Amino acid sequence: MNKVILKNVRPFVQGSFQPLTTMNLVDGRWVGESIEGAIEIEGNGALALPALFALGLDFQEPLRDDIYTFQNGYTAMRRGGFYGGLYESSANPIDDVQKLSAIQQVFSKSGFQLSILGSFSKSYKCEQLAEMLELASCGVSGFGDGNHLNATTRFLRLAMEYGAMSSKRFFFLPLDLSLRSAGCVHEGDVADVLGMKGIPRIAETIVVHTILETALFLKVPIHLKQITCAESLNLIEQARARGLDVTCDVGLYHLLFDDHVLFDLDSHFNLIPPLRSPQDKQALWDGLKRGVVDAISCNHTPVLRQEKEVNFEDAVAGAISLEVALPAIWSTLVDHVGERRALDLLSFNPAKIACAGLQKMEKRSNIDLVLLDPREPSVVSPKILSGAVQNTPLLNNQIPSAIKGSYIQGLWTQV
Amino acid sequence: MSTLQIKHLFGLRGVSQSDIRTILDTAMDFRQVLERPVKKVPSLRGVTVVNLFFENSTRTRTSFELAEKRLSADTINFTTSNSSVKKGETLLDTLRNIEAMKIDLVVVRHKGTGVPKFLADHSKAIIVNAGDGAHEHPTQALLDMLTIEQHLGSLKNKRIAIIGDIRHSRVARSNLWGLTTMGAHVTLCAPSTLAPRNREFFNSVHFEQDVRKAVHEADAVIALRLQKERMDDSLLPSMREYRNFFGITRDVLEQASPSALIMHPGPINRGVELDSEMADSDQSVILEQVTNGVAVRMAVLFLLSGGRASE
Repeated sequence: MNKVILKNVRPFVQGSFQPLTTMNLVDGRWVGESIEGAIEIEGNGALALPALFALGLDFQEPLRDDIYTFQNGYTAMRRGGFYGGLYESSANPIDDVQKLSAIQQVFSKSGFQLSILGSFSKSYKCEQLAEMLELASCGVSGFGDGNHLNATTRFLRLAMEYGAMSSKRFFFLPLDLSLRSAGCVHEGDVADVLGMKGIPRIAETIVVHTILETALFLKVPIHLKQITCAESLNLIEQARARGLDVTCDVGLYHLLFDDHVLFDLDSHFNLIPPLRSPQDKQALWDGLKRGVVDAISCNHTPVLRQEKEVNFEDAVAGAISLEVALPAIWSTLVDHVGERRALDLLSFNPAKIACAGLQKMEKRSNIDLVLLDPREPSVVSPKILSGAVQNTPLLNNQIPSAIKGSYIQGLWTQV
Repeated sequence: MSTLQIKHLFGLRGVSQSDIRTILDTAMDFRQVLERPVKKVPSLRGVTVVNLFFENSTRTRTSFELAEKRLSADTINFTTSNSSVKKGETLLDTLRNIEAMKIDLVVVRHKGTGVPKFLADHSKAIIVNAGDGAHEHPTQALLDMLTIEQHLGSLKNKRIAIIGDIRHSRVARSNLWGLTTMGAHVTLCAPSTLAPRNREFFNSVHFEQDVRKAVHEADAVIALRLQKERMDDSLLPSMREYRNFFGITRDVLEQASPSALIMHPGPINRGVELDSEMADSDQSVILEQVTNGVAVRMAVLFLLSGGRASE
């Protein structure tokens, strides 16, 4: 285990960043006394934040280890300052206890707090219910759709009705697949100029409405993933007012970009759900401010280089984000919502939603932290990205802040 | 003496008026060449052009090929039916292999929006878009503009009606960008399921759902080909209803200027978007469009290869 001394850093203690201090870290603990034989890191006023929790982790393993491995994912988490995340594999639906126990075994050796979403249907096909009670008793954090909800309303109702016995939360990416059709961009002005098939907002809002009504009827807690427009946020607010336990997140890149970036036809911007209009992006920021949005999700989706090095419409959708999320969004986020709420959105709330342990920064206790210099711009170079993938829209771009390193499970990672 | 500001031809959106002017003027010169007994010039001798067609095409590919031959370029045709693309080769590998053969210029048609730009981003060759998805088909629009100018003089303040499947038409997009840049007034007319849904970037054009109002006092009417697949996609109920409400008939054309040009990018669905009587009338310039296509493509290839307008 590492011994680390962080000099001239500002730790986040009891809801705010403290004046410059030195933090002595031993075996994953912040100790009061001085230590010897430690690595010394000069912080130069950097912020020592509680480590983050990622919603939307998909490392593609075990079926696609040609793309990315669990090890790649762990490295990315360390570089990005994440102590845990909610794992939902698109390639490997966790629909029985054998699969669950296999993945739990892998994760138990990682040192990270990785929660797992089970699938509520077999193979995500929404034809047969998965063994949800058994999965819940063996430790899934909730039930998800694998980001591909192709359920009839009847099946949705039955899945939630049955799964309600487990008291677990249901996670949905609200997107009507028939309205999506072959669309890969937001149905708006930009799609019309480019002559590309669009995905309308109603592809999201119709499903949001259906899910909320069903959940209200059955009194099932739900989480809506990657909301992209004001209309959905309004529906969520109304459902909360009617007493529903509903949480939601917005994706990192939906806060950073809008569909006007598509004019360059860079396939790294091929995301599902799609980047929407500047007005939609503004609505998401407003949703963060007024508290409708609970969390910012990472939706870390590795895609092979050759599957992105094609024209926009033929590219595989998705982006990686773990290494870049914090430095890309921190400054703007703090400007909009303040430091405490920024940490709620990136660390505390995602962990709560995933039923994971929360980070707490106190002397003489175990801590995981990430050291961020908010005033030092950095460039997203391929060498900071883990694995053989580079599919982030921020590749080779300058972002406002820099991660200096992370200390997670007692291990210092210099970035 | 002028060359183009653009290095490739991806589309007409954002292309300057002076570049379009240069292409049209040069095309007019090449139009004269096509009337000579010997219809060939040595302008692109030693230049190798690859026609990279990932979609079926007869007219456009033949027109480009003829333009290349008229300019004395060395021409290679590459179609997906006889290529390694069928064996699973990626677009990028296809390009790299072709480029390794030391080619100078690529003419590309593909179903995907932005493929010409993608190729330009990964290649040193000059790229000409021969149609990408529903995005742009710039040489078709340029030949339309040349044809209108030949008959009506300047494009400035001319009223052009484009009728048909605007939403899925690369021809319509290129035409509206090019025509408005040159000062024409463009009216688009389509059933609501075939019209662009959002119009922020189309504020320079007028939308009309009544075909008679759309062609009112028009100087030229461009009818677009209606794909039969639109019926299968539930975008239209029938060809019959389309013809009755959006087809260019004598009755409809009476609303236009008496000398209005009738245009069509071809191939025509006679009796659907355009009645035979109109397609074969004295006002029809459809075959002239085909001839002008060769001249325009000669101009584009010549200018992008570094040729100057007055040469």
